[in-house]
Amino acid sequence: MLKLESVSKSYRGQIALQDVSLSLHKGEIVGLFGENGAGKTTLMSCILGYLPYTGEITLDGDPITRKNIARLSFATSVHSFFPSLTAAAHREFYEMHFPKFRKKRFEGLMDFFDLPMNRAAKQLSTGQQNQLEVILALSQGADYILMDEPFAGNDIFNREDFYKVLSGILEPEETVVISTHLIEEIQNFIGRALLLRQGQLIGDKSIEELEAEGKDLVQFVKESYHYRADRVSRALDGFASPERPDAPEN
Amino acid sequence: MKRRLEALVPVGLDPHTELRWFAIGMGVSALYSIKFLFSFFSVRGELLYQLKHLPLQDTQLLEMPHFWFFLDRAYLGFLLLALCMPAVALFHYLYHYQGSRSIYLMRRLPDRWELLRRCIALPLCGALAALLTGLLITLLWAGIYLLATPRELLSPLWYL
Repeated sequence: MLKLESVSKSYRGQIALQDVSLSLHKGEIVGLFGENGAGKTTLMSCILGYLPYTGEITLDGDPITRKNIARLSFATSVHSFFPSLTAAAHREFYEMHFPKFRKKRFEGLMDFFDLPMNRAAKQLSTGQQNQLEVILALSQGADYILMDEPFAGNDIFNREDFYKVLSGILEPEETVVISTHLIEEIQNFIGRALLLRQGQLIGDKSIEELEAEGKDLVQFVKESYHYRADRVSRALDGFASPERPDAPEN
Repeated sequence: MKRRLEALVPVGLDPHTELRWFAIGMGVSALYSIKFLFSFFSVRGELLYQLKHLPLQDTQLLEMPHFWFFLDRAYLGFLLLALCMPAVALFHYLYHYQGSRSIYLMRRLPDRWELLRRCIALPLCGALAALLTGLLITLLWAGIYLLATPRELLSPLWYL
């Protein structure tokens, strides 16, 4: 179990994460949602040890160190692969550093997405680069796979393929945390939703709970964010009335 | 051999390009240090001429200038090359931010020394090699100075 207790992080006095506590259990597929700057990337960076933080993050009771870091993998929209290396060379590098590297899964996914094995990553299209990034994270042999907006730049068909493949290949002990803005797309794929706002965890619900309440993910997010459906029309009215003498009166 | 070298630089960087530049740096430093030989042998030739042609009582005043006078920072190239190496290490680190953020992968490798090794191994070896070569060349020049200077022209300090 990946457990966060009272995790806080601030950048020069600006709070990025505030007292976040949660547990991620084996086999869960979790969506992490929130507006830009809500703290999603910061949260993942703290888990992976990229940023110092206050509070406690443990993996099956142990702090995350080099001894157990291989149990976490990460796919990010800014990519963490080596641009001048081919996919084949990446496979070799991962095999050398991650003893549980899933070679068969790597090759299967490369084949499925029709990615060239011997072309440098920087020569791939953005969509293909995203695919390679996610394939590497899925093949590392990690128990907890963190993905930070991994599909930015991929078309809808590609993304849907990925969701399907993902739900098909994951083993029961593998946990996926996926941060994305594509709430509607992902709602049938995840089992739990976490919602961050201004660095605070403001929502944590399983899809089953939402279904029992008769809500969908979008509703849950909008409610948690106190989204006002009329805000656009009100704003447009506000823009129009004082400056446009010819604007029709309401 | 290539594999071993590749393990000492950031993943995807060609170690041979770096080694080529380093070799050029060493070559230029070695050429610069040869100025010692030019100035030493020119003074030596002049002193030998005077030794041969001046009256004996005048030659007793002749003395070869001190070794440091000729050395005149002939090792400077090697020193500068060694001082460039921290910049190379910094370049290696920043390389992990080029084109992607491979630093994220490097920072979560189970082997904690992998990133450090790939950033500093070659620069550290380069700095040591440059300093050592500078020292060896200084010693070589000192040896040449001692062997090629006629005993009667050597400063008495060398006998202490």
